[in-house]
Amino acid sequence: MAVENESTLLALVVLGWMLTSVLIGAVVMTLRLREARQRLRDKEEEHEAVLERLRDNEYRLRAIIESEPECVKLQAVDGTVLEINPAGLALVGAERDEDIVGKKIYTVVAPEYRDHYRENMRRVFAGESIVYEFKSITLKGRTAWMETHAVPLRDARGAIYALLGITRDITERKWGEEQARRHQTELARVARLSTMGEMATGIAHELNQPLAAIANFARGCLRRLRGGDVAPDDLLQPLEEICAQAERAGEVMRHVRDFVRKRETRMTAVDINRVVQGAAKLTELECRQNHAVVMLDLVPGQPRVWADSIMIEQVICNLIRNSVEAMAEARSPVRRVNLSTSRPDGDTVEIVVGDTGPGIDGVLIDRVFDQFFTTKPEGVGMGLSISRSIVESHGGGLRAESAAGGGATFRFTLRAIGRTLVTNERRYSFHH
Amino acid sequence: MSDATVFIIDDDQAVARSLRWLIETVRLKVETFASAQAFLDQYDATKPGCLVLDVRMPGMSGLELQERLTARGGYHPPIIFITGHGDVQMAVRAVQAGAFDFVEKPFNDQDLLDRIQRAIAHDAGQRGKEELRSQLKALFASLTPREREVLDLVVAGMSNKAIANTLGLSAKTVEVHRAKVMEKLHARSLSDLVKLAMQNQPG
Repeated sequence: MAVENESTLLALVVLGWMLTSVLIGAVVMTLRLREARQRLRDKEEEHEAVLERLRDNEYRLRAIIESEPECVKLQAVDGTVLEINPAGLALVGAERDEDIVGKKIYTVVAPEYRDHYRENMRRVFAGESIVYEFKSITLKGRTAWMETHAVPLRDARGAIYALLGITRDITERKWGEEQARRHQTELARVARLSTMGEMATGIAHELNQPLAAIANFARGCLRRLRGGDVAPDDLLQPLEEICAQAERAGEVMRHVRDFVRKRETRMTAVDINRVVQGAAKLTELECRQNHAVVMLDLVPGQPRVWADSIMIEQVICNLIRNSVEAMAEARSPVRRVNLSTSRPDGDTVEIVVGDTGPGIDGVLIDRVFDQFFTTKPEGVGMGLSISRSIVESHGGGLRAESAAGGGATFRFTLRAIGRTLVTNERRYSFHH
Repeated sequence: MSDATVFIIDDDQAVARSLRWLIETVRLKVETFASAQAFLDQYDATKPGCLVLDVRMPGMSGLELQERLTARGGYHPPIIFITGHGDVQMAVRAVQAGAFDFVEKPFNDQDLLDRIQRAIAHDAGQRGKEELRSQLKALFASLTPREREVLDLVVAGMSNKAIANTLGLSAKTVEVHRAKVMEKLHARSLSDLVKLAMQNQPG
């Protein structure tokens, strides 16, 4: 019986141990399960929060886009409008989304700008971010100028699937620009006309002189030949005179052509002394008519300057004319215009136009370069303003001075060519 | 022809030389000057002829030269102005100020030469009248004060008797003075006398 009892006990112990193990295992499993469930719940909550945030973000983005005052739209590669905000609807003249969404954007692009627009789209789908302008005819038929900032939109793999465009109406700005451009053209035309008018009188006189001389010499020859009392040798001198006068007329015409020709700025290496002499020659008549003399003080051997000689000649002519007119107007007893060139330092050449006129009133000296500022009864007030911009476009500066004892002085500088080259070389060596 | 001279004043030497070459074809003497001042410096009012000058000239203008000549008083030769295109207004002013004529560039040679001939003829006429006037002046100067008185009253249309009463002379004495006046002035009739007296009016 004892053995039986012993084995029963052992069996009980083993059973008890097994039960305990199962129990422990069950507890552990339960605990693990609970833990896993908790983790899952946590993850779910986390996911929920992320979704929440995403939704928030989307709402916020949508709200921003919806309330964005400028047109925001998505376009497919073929130009189909995928999405557009209310401002965009208003801009293209659509009442509802379906008026434009799903349709091609080209329906609101002016026909002559469609190719241009297509090309810009191609560039964006090739990965570029660009800004472009185009003319639009809205769904309501209004013609407007638009400016679009376009960027490519990429998916997670980096493939471009849409164009994001922000477009604004720039009609007013365009119109303003157009007005300003017209205004500028008009100003230039007026300035040119008034200069042309002044020149025309001079040209007429300059041409009339040699033509009159030619006619007189020729008729004198004819009369003698018809009279039959002339030796051929006697006609040599007048015939030579005729040739010389014809050349003189040709020279005048060359100047006119140079002035009138529609031309781009032509920069060449210019001998400034020759330009100054040319200007003095061009204004000779006006000087004579106003009893003024021009004195030249040109330092020889000036370095050449990089300039458009005709433009600089016009600037100098303009300064001479201003001086002569001011002196005539003021009835100055001595009427002299001093033209000089010098080289204040190695790098620049200075041109000075001074006169013996009344000078410029101290309070006006800062205004003489203003557009439409003039002291002349018939003046347009463009001469000095244009002159200054010409000099500035040459990289120089034009300044006005007035001495206490009278006399106005205008001086401007041009860069000598030697310096430009040196600077370039320096810059070059610095970079390499 | 005459000893008339065409005085050309033009700052443009080529134009001045060409005018000389042209004008010399009608056998006129020509002198050229480069400025109004150069002309004034050698100006001799007794030389017959005419002036041809450009309205626009540096220094003294053509108009100023005309003013200067007029201001000198006495007679000056006729002036023909040459004007450039668009200077017609200036030419009109010149003519108003006493210029003889003007031609506008470009001019016809015959036209200019005709005008020059007319100006020279005018000058000769003026000089002739001037001559007559000075001769007449000399004749009148030879009259005694009394003869002058008698002449004035005769020209005023008074009879010998009325003159005698006015001057307190006898009719016979008036007759003698009157005969003397006729003789001194080389007048053959009363109407001659009146004409001469009119011509002697200044102006």
